[in-house]
Amino acid sequence: MKHLFKPQVVTGLWIFLIVLLVIKVLWFLLEVVWLPSSGLDQLEERGGKALYYRAKLSPNEAPAPTIRKKTAPIAGSIKDITLLAIYNASDITVVTVEYKRKTKVLAKGDEINGFVLEGAGPNYATFSKNSKIYKVTLRITSNGHTAIQPSTPSSTAPSSRKNKAEGDVVDAGDHKIVDKSLLEHYAANVEDIYKNIGIKEIKKGKEGKGFSISFIRKGSPFAKLGLKRGDVIESINGQKIDSEKAAFDMYKNIKNIDNLSLVIKRGKEEMELEYEVN
Amino acid sequence: MQMVKKSVLVLLVTWLAIVILMPKQEIYYKLEEALDSYEIRLNEEKKSEGLFSLNLKGVTVYVKGINVATIDEVNFFTLLFYSSVELRSLLVDDSLKTMIPQETTSAVLEHSILSPLDVSVMASGSFGALTGNIDLNERTVHLDFNESKNIQMLKPSLKKSEKGWVYETSF
Repeated sequence: MKHLFKPQVVTGLWIFLIVLLVIKVLWFLLEVVWLPSSGLDQLEERGGKALYYRAKLSPNEAPAPTIRKKTAPIAGSIKDITLLAIYNASDITVVTVEYKRKTKVLAKGDEINGFVLEGAGPNYATFSKNSKIYKVTLRITSNGHTAIQPSTPSSTAPSSRKNKAEGDVVDAGDHKIVDKSLLEHYAANVEDIYKNIGIKEIKKGKEGKGFSISFIRKGSPFAKLGLKRGDVIESINGQKIDSEKAAFDMYKNIKNIDNLSLVIKRGKEEMELEYEVN
Repeated sequence: MQMVKKSVLVLLVTWLAIVILMPKQEIYYKLEEALDSYEIRLNEEKKSEGLFSLNLKGVTVYVKGINVATIDEVNFFTLLFYSSVELRSLLVDDSLKTMIPQETTSAVLEHSILSPLDVSVMASGSFGALTGNIDLNERTVHLDFNESKNIQMLKPSLKKSEKGWVYETSF
């Protein structure tokens, strides 16, 4: 009987198929025993978290002790405006003011920080807001002269404060005001945060409990907020800060916030701190 | 002679079969598991297997759940005796651009059987261009910034050498 194929070709083909089969089986066994059948994907949250507030609805339990440093929110503060120079003639009134470390020249009727320039005297200017009149006196320099300065900032000044945070936390007596430009600065320069404050995640098992302050630079905006070393930041603006992701999400949104409230734990006491952002 | 020919042929077929039949996606899942232990996760929009490669498109990199970077394309290629990972257009999140260079146009990691304990690195992007190597035996990373630009944020962790800026670390 005549063979259709040469016996060597058939043998070669068998060897080829056996090699393929053996390798496939080995890979299959490896897949079953050692390799996972599906990947790990990070679940992405769609849209922002809804703002929520804590509420104790149980009538039998006493509410958690909370110390509130509440402030009446104000849209802008007159204290942010410094009067640098006045030009007061019968037909025109022009003043130079400093606001957020920038000088601005205002004519009668111009608005700054929500305050409208109404007029000026020999050493003061008057502004109005919500039908109220505010008086700002001219800044006097240490040598006793009024601080009349050019309206454009000095060419040497900006370079020295190029990397310095603009804005600050101002203590307005009964409440504290956080300058929005400070938040904008930190939003663009994350490393400046770590120069002023050190935070460390606190976990109980796998559950995050907040961020403990490991150090805080004296005189920094964070110290001016009233935060102290050892405080545990539990939530910011109603959002629990229970993971690095939650903290980072809050950081990414920091320049868009209109108010700031922190829930912190100091020792065994829980405190809520509220600030005006302006 | 015939025997040598047959052996070479069998070896060639075996090698080709190992590479082509390799469960590349499942090996990639194993890599994802390994990265997960460092709290790094990769989300990819599309995966496609080639004969010798695995291609990922639209990769998002998460560290501790934080979206830190996106990579347009990642290509894993292997012939067993030579392997490479190529990254195209890596873009770091805006919020981190003051800490690390924001754009890496391309980055290539290569491993060859000729130097089994060494992985060579080449990259270019907004920081300029760099070459270097990862020593798997000494567990060190050495990167030379050949053309450096916009690396102000990295300078605190770089050393100045005759050739330029150098980054060294161990793991």
